[in-house]
Amino acid sequence: MIILNKMISFYYREYKLNLSGFQDILTNIIFFFVSIFIFIFSIGPDKETISSIGIGIVWTLLLLSSTLSLRKFYQDDFENGNLLIMHLNGFSFGFITILKTFSHFIFVQLPFLLSIPIASILLNIANDKVIYLFSSFIIGSFILSCLGSISSSMNLMNQRNFLLGSVIVMIFSVPIIIFSVGIVNIEENFNSLISILFGVLLIVFAINPWASGLCLKLALENN
Amino acid sequence: MKFLVNPGNFNKFADYVFLPVLISSIILFSIGLIFAFYLSPDDYQQGSTVRIMYVHVPSAWLALLTYAIMTLYSIAGLAFRIPFGFIINTAVAPIGAVFTLICIISGSLWGKPMWGTWWVWDARLTSVAILFIIYLIIIFMNLSFENRIVREKVVAIFVLVGSINLPIVKFSVDWWNTLHQPATISKLSKPSIDPSMMIPLIIMTFAFIMVGLVIAILRIKTEIISRKSNLI
Repeated sequence: MIILNKMISFYYREYKLNLSGFQDILTNIIFFFVSIFIFIFSIGPDKETISSIGIGIVWTLLLLSSTLSLRKFYQDDFENGNLLIMHLNGFSFGFITILKTFSHFIFVQLPFLLSIPIASILLNIANDKVIYLFSSFIIGSFILSCLGSISSSMNLMNQRNFLLGSVIVMIFSVPIIIFSVGIVNIEENFNSLISILFGVLLIVFAINPWASGLCLKLALENN
Repeated sequence: MKFLVNPGNFNKFADYVFLPVLISSIILFSIGLIFAFYLSPDDYQQGSTVRIMYVHVPSAWLALLTYAIMTLYSIAGLAFRIPFGFIINTAVAPIGAVFTLICIISGSLWGKPMWGTWWVWDARLTSVAILFIIYLIIIFMNLSFENRIVREKVVAIFVLVGSINLPIVKFSVDWWNTLHQPATISKLSKPSIDPSMMIPLIIMTFAFIMVGLVIAILRIKTEIISRKSNLI
């Protein structure tokens, strides 16, 4: 019961923090739309071309704009000592990473869900494909949160080269891009592809607390 | 077998074994190149371009083998607290990156006359490119951390996470329909390659292994010395 109270207060704190820093999330979404404009200007306003590559553009830009906010994943809590306080309050490092991953999924990735319909209007994507895009996005963005947790915890002590964190997320997100774009483009394969995507989610979710918990422990020990 | 886990024993063993390995690498390389260029037959379809295989296939095998060795040593370093595993990780990563690069370049030189393009977005080619980028990330991580203890453990964790890619590289030709041909030698049944091409391939593979060993011994000894004197 005590641990439940602690979890509730953890999420209340995350909610407060994200509400006060809401302009950061909005900046991510604005980055997403501005990149769509740039894509369309560079390709040309031909409707056929845009609708044939629209899904790929949406997924690429979602990936890029979710890697923008990786720096804030653990860094703030690490620098002001909150990670240590959470650990002293009885959360193991693995459990902290699970909680932070869910909070990143809820407060950073889910706002993109609202921007997908607008983007699909701009990119001329057919209405029936938007549902597939939604379902692939919900699973795929959780995988992106787990990968972001792994890479940003690895780079906590890395003072020189933080861009490495984004590269790590992008290199491991290749299967996600393949399967989630495949879901939308090959509709009769929906069940099999979404099962594969869900399998990738389970693998990454199993690796995440182990890898990033160990990295958090290392960073706190050697700080 | 203590030289596999103990730096001091490795140094003694390396002093003993370095000169034979160097000489045998030179001999094997010259014999293998003579076999590959003059004594092996042309392919009936591919003509003389099949000789690229004698560089392409051994380097691909060694790229995978190097990553597998790094994975094993990362497990040893993290789980059994053997610091020699981290030394191996740091020393061996650039060798694997170079083998992967040789594999990619020779493959695209072979692909241009046979397939008509330098590069296709095929499962095997893409996964090998990802392997190359993973090697590069490992090298950059080794360069960018300041604290040595954090660096070596984080790199070992990254090597373990990235080892997901190894079975994908190996089995990509069986799982997907690729332009790259499926395995002809490293499969369970009898290899479907003629002995006249198999012999130079095996000689070249051993030559590549010996060259890799020479560079690895030098790099591991340098790493041990620099750790002893606290340079890093």
